[in-house]
Amino acid sequence: MADPLQPPGNVLLQKEGMNTNAFLRNYARPRKSGAPAWWLQRVTGLALVILTVGHYILMHYNPVSGHDYGETASRLASPWFKGIYLGFITIGMYHGLQGCWNIVRDFKLKPMIGLTIFGVLVIAGIIFVAIGWNTILTFDPLKP
Amino acid sequence: MAYIPEREPFSAWNKLIMRYRLFSGSWAYLLQRLTGIGLVAYLFLHIWALTSLTRGRAAFAAEMVTFTTPLFKFLEWALGALIMFHAFNGIRIAIVDLANGARYHKKLLAAVWVTGIAVVIMMFFLIFSNTLFAK
Repeated sequence: MADPLQPPGNVLLQKEGMNTNAFLRNYARPRKSGAPAWWLQRVTGLALVILTVGHYILMHYNPVSGHDYGETASRLASPWFKGIYLGFITIGMYHGLQGCWNIVRDFKLKPMIGLTIFGVLVIAGIIFVAIGWNTILTFDPLKP
Repeated sequence: MAYIPEREPFSAWNKLIMRYRLFSGSWAYLLQRLTGIGLVAYLFLHIWALTSLTRGRAAFAAEMVTFTTPLFKFLEWALGALIMFHAFNGIRIAIVDLANGARYHKKLLAAVWVTGIAVVIMMFFLIFSNTLFAK
Protein backbone atom coordinates (compact mmCIF):
# COMPACT_ATOMS: atom_id res chain seq x y z
CA MET A 1 0.00 0.00 0.00
CA ALA A 2 1.45 3.33 -1.13
CA ASP A 3 1.64 6.25 1.29
CA PRO A 4 -1.24 8.60 0.27
CA LEU A 5 0.69 11.67 1.49
CA GLN A 6 3.55 11.03 -0.92
CA PRO A 7 3.33 11.70 -4.67
CA PRO A 8 2.99 8.54 -6.76
CA GLY A 9 6.15 6.84 -7.90
CA ASN A 10 7.72 8.41 -10.93
CA VAL A 11 9.98 6.83 -13.51
CA LEU A 12 12.14 9.96 -13.59
CA LEU A 13 12.45 9.97 -9.81
CA GLN A 14 13.50 6.32 -9.74
CA LYS A 15 15.98 6.82 -12.55
CA GLU A 16 17.62 9.80 -10.86
CA GLY A 17 17.64 7.92 -7.56
CA MET A 18 16.31 10.92 -5.66
CA ASN A 19 13.96 11.32 -2.72
CA THR A 20 10.65 13.12 -3.15
CA ASN A 21 11.82 16.52 -1.90
CA ALA A 22 14.78 16.61 -4.27
CA PHE A 23 12.45 15.57 -7.09
CA LEU A 24 10.06 18.43 -6.32
CA ARG A 25 12.89 20.93 -5.98
CA ASN A 26 14.33 20.01 -9.33
CA TYR A 27 11.37 19.05 -11.51
CA ALA A 28 8.05 20.16 -10.08
CA ARG A 29 8.68 23.88 -10.18
CA PRO A 30 9.54 26.24 -13.05
CA ARG A 31 13.18 26.13 -14.09
CA LYS A 32 13.27 29.89 -14.47
CA SER A 33 11.61 32.60 -12.43
CA GLY A 34 9.25 34.89 -14.34
CA ALA A 35 9.78 37.68 -11.80
CA PRO A 36 12.18 39.85 -13.88
CA ALA A 37 9.76 39.84 -16.83
CA TRP A 38 6.85 40.60 -14.49
CA TRP A 39 8.77 43.53 -12.94
CA LEU A 40 9.95 44.84 -16.33
CA GLN A 41 6.34 44.72 -17.58
CA ARG A 42 5.31 47.09 -14.76
CA VAL A 43 8.31 49.40 -15.18
CA THR A 44 8.07 49.66 -19.00
CA GLY A 45 4.31 50.04 -18.60
CA LEU A 46 4.70 53.05 -16.29
CA ALA A 47 7.23 54.61 -18.70
CA LEU A 48 4.87 53.95 -21.60
CA VAL A 49 1.97 55.65 -19.79
CA ILE A 50 3.91 58.92 -19.99
CA LEU A 51 5.35 58.27 -23.46
CA THR A 52 2.17 56.99 -25.15
CA VAL A 53 -0.29 59.45 -23.64
CA GLY A 54 2.20 62.26 -24.34
CA HIS A 55 2.72 61.04 -27.90
CA TYR A 56 -1.03 60.78 -28.50
CA ILE A 57 -1.73 64.30 -27.21
CA LEU A 58 1.28 65.72 -29.09
CA MET A 59 0.18 64.12 -32.37
CA HIS A 60 -3.39 65.46 -32.04
CA TYR A 61 -2.71 68.76 -30.31
CA ASN A 62 -3.66 70.61 -33.47
CA PRO A 63 -4.61 69.41 -36.97
CA VAL A 64 -1.07 69.63 -38.35
CA SER A 65 1.08 68.55 -35.41
CA GLY A 66 0.83 64.85 -36.25
CA HIS A 67 -0.09 64.86 -39.92
CA ASP A 68 2.36 67.30 -41.51
CA TYR A 69 5.79 66.54 -42.98
CA GLY A 70 7.31 69.85 -41.90
CA GLU A 71 6.21 69.43 -38.27
CA THR A 72 7.62 65.90 -38.22
CA ALA A 73 10.90 67.05 -39.77
CA SER A 74 11.31 69.85 -37.23
CA ARG A 75 10.76 67.42 -34.36
CA LEU A 76 13.15 64.83 -35.82
CA ALA A 77 15.85 67.52 -36.12
CA SER A 78 16.33 67.19 -32.35
CA PRO A 79 18.67 64.35 -31.28
CA TRP A 80 16.80 64.20 -27.95
CA PHE A 81 13.52 63.53 -29.76
CA LYS A 82 15.21 60.87 -31.91
CA GLY A 83 16.74 59.16 -28.90
CA ILE A 84 13.50 59.17 -26.91
CA TYR A 85 11.58 57.76 -29.88
CA LEU A 86 14.13 54.99 -30.52
CA GLY A 87 13.58 53.97 -26.90
CA PHE A 88 9.82 54.42 -27.23
CA ILE A 89 9.64 52.00 -30.18
CA THR A 90 11.82 49.45 -28.43
CA ILE A 91 10.16 49.37 -25.03
CA GLY A 92 6.71 49.69 -26.61
CA MET A 93 7.34 46.62 -28.73
CA TYR A 94 8.89 44.75 -25.78
CA HIS A 95 5.91 45.56 -23.54
CA GLY A 96 3.38 44.64 -26.22
CA LEU A 97 4.92 41.32 -27.18
CA GLN A 98 5.65 40.40 -23.56
CA GLY A 99 1.95 41.04 -22.92
CA CYS A 100 0.95 38.82 -25.86
CA TRP A 101 3.23 36.05 -24.61
CA ASN A 102 1.72 36.50 -21.14
CA ILE A 103 -1.74 35.86 -22.63
CA VAL A 104 -0.49 32.85 -24.64
CA ARG A 105 1.10 31.37 -21.50
CA ASP A 106 -2.31 31.34 -19.79
CA PHE A 107 -3.37 28.57 -22.18
CA LYS A 108 -2.03 25.06 -21.90
CA LEU A 109 -0.33 24.60 -25.24
CA LYS A 110 1.79 21.81 -26.66
CA PRO A 111 5.48 22.76 -26.31
CA MET A 112 6.06 23.00 -30.08
CA ILE A 113 3.03 25.27 -30.61
CA GLY A 114 4.13 27.49 -27.73
CA LEU A 115 7.68 27.63 -29.07
CA THR A 116 6.39 28.51 -32.56
CA ILE A 117 4.24 31.38 -31.22
CA PHE A 118 7.18 32.59 -29.12
CA GLY A 119 9.46 32.51 -32.18
CA VAL A 120 6.93 34.40 -34.32
CA LEU A 121 6.53 37.09 -31.62
CA VAL A 122 10.30 37.52 -31.16
CA ILE A 123 11.09 37.62 -34.89
CA ALA A 124 8.18 39.98 -35.68
CA GLY A 125 9.29 42.22 -32.81
CA ILE A 126 12.92 42.36 -33.98
CA ILE A 127 11.91 43.05 -37.60
CA PHE A 128 9.46 45.83 -36.72
CA VAL A 129 11.80 47.49 -34.21
CA ALA A 130 14.44 47.47 -36.96
CA ILE A 131 11.94 49.04 -39.41
CA GLY A 132 11.08 51.73 -36.87
CA TRP A 133 14.72 52.50 -36.06
CA ASN A 134 15.47 52.62 -39.80
CA THR A 135 12.64 55.14 -40.35
CA ILE A 136 13.99 57.45 -37.64
CA LEU A 137 17.70 57.10 -38.35
CA THR A 138 17.58 57.34 -42.16
CA PHE A 139 15.01 60.18 -42.18
CA ASP A 140 16.17 62.94 -44.54
CA PRO A 141 14.15 66.18 -44.21
CA LEU A 142 15.44 67.52 -47.54
CA LYS A 143 14.18 64.59 -49.61
CA PRO A 144 11.43 65.86 -51.99
CA MET B 1 -16.81 36.10 1.08
CA ALA B 2 -18.83 37.54 -1.71
CA TYR B 3 -22.09 35.82 -2.52
CA ILE B 4 -21.85 34.19 -5.95
CA PRO B 5 -25.31 33.27 -7.23
CA GLU B 6 -25.68 29.97 -9.04
CA ARG B 7 -26.57 30.22 -12.68
CA GLU B 8 -28.03 27.92 -15.26
CA PRO B 9 -25.35 27.72 -17.96
CA PHE B 10 -27.02 26.95 -21.25
CA SER B 11 -23.84 26.87 -23.28
CA ALA B 12 -20.08 26.85 -22.83
CA TRP B 13 -19.84 30.37 -24.22
CA ASN B 14 -22.52 31.62 -21.84
CA LYS B 15 -20.64 30.05 -18.96
CA LEU B 16 -17.40 31.69 -20.10
CA ILE B 17 -19.00 35.12 -20.48
CA MET B 18 -21.00 34.89 -17.25
CA ARG B 19 -17.77 34.19 -15.39
CA TYR B 20 -16.77 37.81 -16.10
CA ARG B 21 -20.08 39.32 -15.00
CA LEU B 22 -19.59 38.98 -11.30
CA PHE B 23 -16.88 41.48 -10.38
CA SER B 24 -15.75 44.80 -11.82
CA GLY B 25 -12.11 43.72 -11.59
CA SER B 26 -12.76 40.77 -13.91
CA TRP B 27 -13.99 43.15 -16.57
CA ALA B 28 -10.90 45.32 -16.06
CA TYR B 29 -8.70 42.23 -16.48
CA LEU B 30 -10.47 41.21 -19.69
CA LEU B 31 -10.50 44.74 -21.13
CA GLN B 32 -6.82 45.21 -20.27
CA ARG B 33 -5.98 42.17 -22.40
CA LEU B 34 -8.31 43.05 -25.29
CA THR B 35 -7.09 46.66 -25.47
CA GLY B 36 -3.50 45.38 -25.19
CA ILE B 37 -3.93 43.07 -28.19
CA GLY B 38 -5.54 45.93 -30.12
CA LEU B 39 -2.67 48.29 -29.28
CA VAL B 40 0.01 45.77 -30.35
CA ALA B 41 -1.81 45.29 -33.66
CA TYR B 42 -1.93 49.08 -34.06
CA LEU B 43 1.78 49.40 -33.18
CA PHE B 44 2.72 47.09 -36.07
CA LEU B 45 0.47 49.03 -38.47
CA HIS B 46 1.81 52.34 -37.17
CA ILE B 47 5.48 51.41 -37.68
CA TRP B 48 4.68 50.05 -41.14
CA ALA B 49 2.63 53.10 -42.20
CA LEU B 50 5.31 55.58 -41.12
CA THR B 51 7.98 54.04 -43.38
CA SER B 52 6.66 56.59 -45.90
CA LEU B 53 8.77 59.18 -43.99
CA THR B 54 11.88 57.65 -45.58
CA ARG B 55 10.42 58.11 -49.08
CA GLY B 56 10.23 61.87 -48.84
CA ARG B 57 7.75 64.73 -48.49
CA ALA B 58 5.49 63.81 -51.44
CA ALA B 59 5.00 60.17 -50.37
CA PHE B 60 4.19 61.23 -46.78
CA ALA B 61 1.74 63.91 -47.93
CA ALA B 62 0.00 61.42 -50.26
CA GLU B 63 -0.44 59.01 -47.33
CA MET B 64 -1.71 61.73 -45.00
CA VAL B 65 -4.53 62.56 -47.43
CA THR B 66 -6.10 59.24 -46.39
CA PHE B 67 -5.23 59.58 -42.71
CA THR B 68 -6.89 63.00 -42.34
CA THR B 69 -10.30 61.91 -43.65
CA PRO B 70 -13.15 62.04 -41.08
CA LEU B 71 -13.25 58.23 -40.85
CA PHE B 72 -9.57 57.98 -39.90
CA LYS B 73 -9.90 60.94 -37.51
CA PHE B 74 -12.72 59.08 -35.78
CA LEU B 75 -10.64 55.87 -35.67
CA GLU B 76 -7.70 57.80 -34.18
CA TRP B 77 -10.02 59.20 -31.52
CA ALA B 78 -11.32 55.68 -30.79
CA LEU B 79 -7.72 54.46 -30.55
CA GLY B 80 -7.26 57.06 -27.82
CA ALA B 81 -9.99 55.35 -25.78
CA LEU B 82 -8.03 52.06 -25.91
CA ILE B 83 -4.81 53.88 -24.94
CA MET B 84 -6.38 55.76 -22.02
CA PHE B 85 -8.08 52.67 -20.55
CA HIS B 86 -4.94 50.53 -20.93
CA ALA B 87 -2.68 53.26 -19.53
CA PHE B 88 -4.80 54.22 -16.51
CA ASN B 89 -5.73 50.64 -15.67
CA GLY B 90 -2.01 49.83 -16.05
CA ILE B 91 -1.23 52.43 -13.38
CA ARG B 92 -3.86 50.75 -11.20
CA ILE B 93 -2.21 47.34 -11.77
CA ALA B 94 1.19 48.77 -10.84
CA ILE B 95 -0.27 50.29 -7.65
CA VAL B 96 -1.93 46.97 -6.76
CA ASP B 97 1.23 44.94 -7.50
CA LEU B 98 3.99 47.23 -6.22
CA ALA B 99 2.15 49.14 -3.45
CA ASN B 100 -0.85 48.40 -1.22
CA GLY B 101 -3.41 49.10 -3.94
CA ALA B 102 -5.17 45.81 -3.25
CA ARG B 103 -6.84 47.57 -0.29
CA TYR B 104 -8.56 50.15 -2.50
CA HIS B 105 -8.45 48.72 -6.04
CA LYS B 106 -12.18 49.28 -6.63
CA LYS B 107 -11.81 52.98 -5.89
CA LEU B 108 -8.82 53.03 -8.24
CA LEU B 109 -10.95 51.38 -10.93
CA ALA B 110 -13.61 54.08 -10.52
CA ALA B 111 -10.85 56.68 -10.88
CA VAL B 112 -9.62 54.87 -14.03
CA TRP B 113 -13.05 55.13 -15.63
CA VAL B 114 -13.61 58.77 -14.61
CA THR B 115 -10.14 59.94 -15.72
CA GLY B 116 -10.23 57.87 -18.90
CA ILE B 117 -13.63 59.15 -20.02
CA ALA B 118 -12.63 62.74 -19.17
CA VAL B 119 -9.42 62.52 -21.22
CA VAL B 120 -11.21 60.84 -24.15
CA ILE B 121 -13.84 63.63 -24.20
CA MET B 122 -11.02 66.21 -24.03
CA MET B 123 -9.30 64.52 -26.99
CA PHE B 124 -12.60 64.61 -28.91
CA PHE B 125 -12.49 68.41 -28.75
CA LEU B 126 -8.78 68.56 -29.64
CA ILE B 127 -9.21 66.30 -32.69
CA PHE B 128 -12.57 67.48 -34.04
CA SER B 129 -12.83 71.11 -32.93
CA ASN B 130 -11.30 72.47 -36.14
CA THR B 131 -13.85 70.61 -38.31
CA LEU B 132 -16.94 70.76 -36.07
CA PHE B 133 -16.61 74.34 -34.83
CA ALA B 134 -14.91 75.90 -37.87
CA LYS B 135 -15.59 79.59 -38.27
